[in-house]
Amino acid sequence: MKLMLCEKCKKRAATVFYNENINGKTRSYSLCGECAAKLREKGELQDITSMIGSFADPFSKLHDDFFGGFFGIPARISSTDTKKCPECGTTFREIADGGKVGCPTCYTTFGDELSDLIRSVHGTTAHTGRVPSRHRAKQERTEKLNALREELKAAIGNEEYEKAASLRDEIHKLEAENGKGAI
Amino acid sequence: MAWYNTVGTASDTVISSRVRLARNLVGYPFASKLDAAGANEIIEKVSVPLEAAGFRKINFSDISPVMATSYVERHYVSPDFATKETPHALLLQETGGIAVMVCEEDHLRIQSILSGLELEEAYRNAMRVEKRLDEDFDFAYSEQLGYLTHCPTNLGTGMRASVMMFLPALTAGGYMDSLAAQLSKIGLTVRGLFGEGSGAAGCMYQISNQITLGITEEETLKKLKDAVSQIIESERKARASITGESLERLTDRVKRAEGALRYAYRMSSAEFIKLFADVRFGIALGVITDITYEQLGTLLVEAMPATLTLSSENAPKTEAARDRLRAQKIQNILSAQG
Repeated sequence: MKLMLCEKCKKRAATVFYNENINGKTRSYSLCGECAAKLREKGELQDITSMIGSFADPFSKLHDDFFGGFFGIPARISSTDTKKCPECGTTFREIADGGKVGCPTCYTTFGDELSDLIRSVHGTTAHTGRVPSRHRAKQERTEKLNALREELKAAIGNEEYEKAASLRDEIHKLEAENGKGAI
Repeated sequence: MAWYNTVGTASDTVISSRVRLARNLVGYPFASKLDAAGANEIIEKVSVPLEAAGFRKINFSDISPVMATSYVERHYVSPDFATKETPHALLLQETGGIAVMVCEEDHLRIQSILSGLELEEAYRNAMRVEKRLDEDFDFAYSEQLGYLTHCPTNLGTGMRASVMMFLPALTAGGYMDSLAAQLSKIGLTVRGLFGEGSGAAGCMYQISNQITLGITEEETLKKLKDAVSQIIESERKARASITGESLERLTDRVKRAEGALRYAYRMSSAEFIKLFADVRFGIALGVITDITYEQLGTLLVEAMPATLTLSSENAPKTEAARDRLRAQKIQNILSAQG
């Protein structure tokens, strides 16, 4: 297996491969996850179902390509293969084979490895919608923090230092409430 | 009353609506890494508030395979759930078609199934249960990925909404393939009700959302409902275009189907599904007037193999005996006053 680069950006490894058949003419694509997602957004790449064949098992084809694209070395000895989730012991190979993660922590452990896959399935990696009650207060604080940081930037830009100082205090207070290592 | 004995809106084209929410409890691994002790613990924990709210608990380790299959036929559990070997339980409230599968692929699959086009109501039912459980339990969640699920295809809202449609005219006209292609472009999936890949027997199709991340619950429901409304309109137009000799031939076919359902001595499930579709079409066209959608809805569950077997004191031992029992069951239900 040889290293295959994304034909679009020619920088990242190609992880998405598929054939398109238009009026009997076949074209194959080798793309990295980011370029594939961009093309999909533009509508130049067909939707995910045609790309992966069957939606019922979207990982069956993707994960082969995923490993195949990793710098042309056999997946057996790639570093992602030996990495284990500290919580449940699942390896990335297991996830790629079974299409399922082992525990909630796997999503943090394999965040980088999974983000392309998640984007391929959903077209995004950012949740919107319902929030559990235990996270709601924290999420509201996070949103408030982002707004305050913008305000702070503007205040400094306008040389309103008194306002900036009080904004900074407010930000520190909220940061303390949210704790460190927010998900 | 069970959902399948009732009739909902747009019943000429819609059989049922379903919403399910996938949730997992913090502190336990997902199903593939969960041991029996962990599974039993989860079942015990979530049963407490649900039983207090009037749910009936059915421990699937304690019931026969035929009983388990009957819950599949009533659309309360998935086929995978029925045959699982590790501990798993169903918490059921038949009014509102609310079923909580505990320790399926996710720790909790909260769902509501209703007759007809009732997506919002099904969503409210499922969400009411979810909110009750959210008070007691910490669900696995991240701000970035939303509700964390065993399979990344359910991340985000963890919600799958689906509508079971009855589309005989679009099927006959050969429109289903192009419809499926169009729906897939907007993130919706079409599946046949009976036997995947073998074409949709009974002209029944399930339309559902594919994507769960980056789209809110309300947006998902709206997208699905808008698509379903358009399909309903197309199906009705296609039906209205059947006239003259075509309509007479069709009338002959549905009347014969009614005759066979009412008077056959034996009936296989494959034949039943075919006749069911014809008779349902006949009601929609106004050609059959003395059979109701409620009766057909009841039949679609009661004439299925496991539920049928359970309804008899002497379980039929051969296929022929079961086909005889099915014919009797159909006749009983059709002759009862709707």
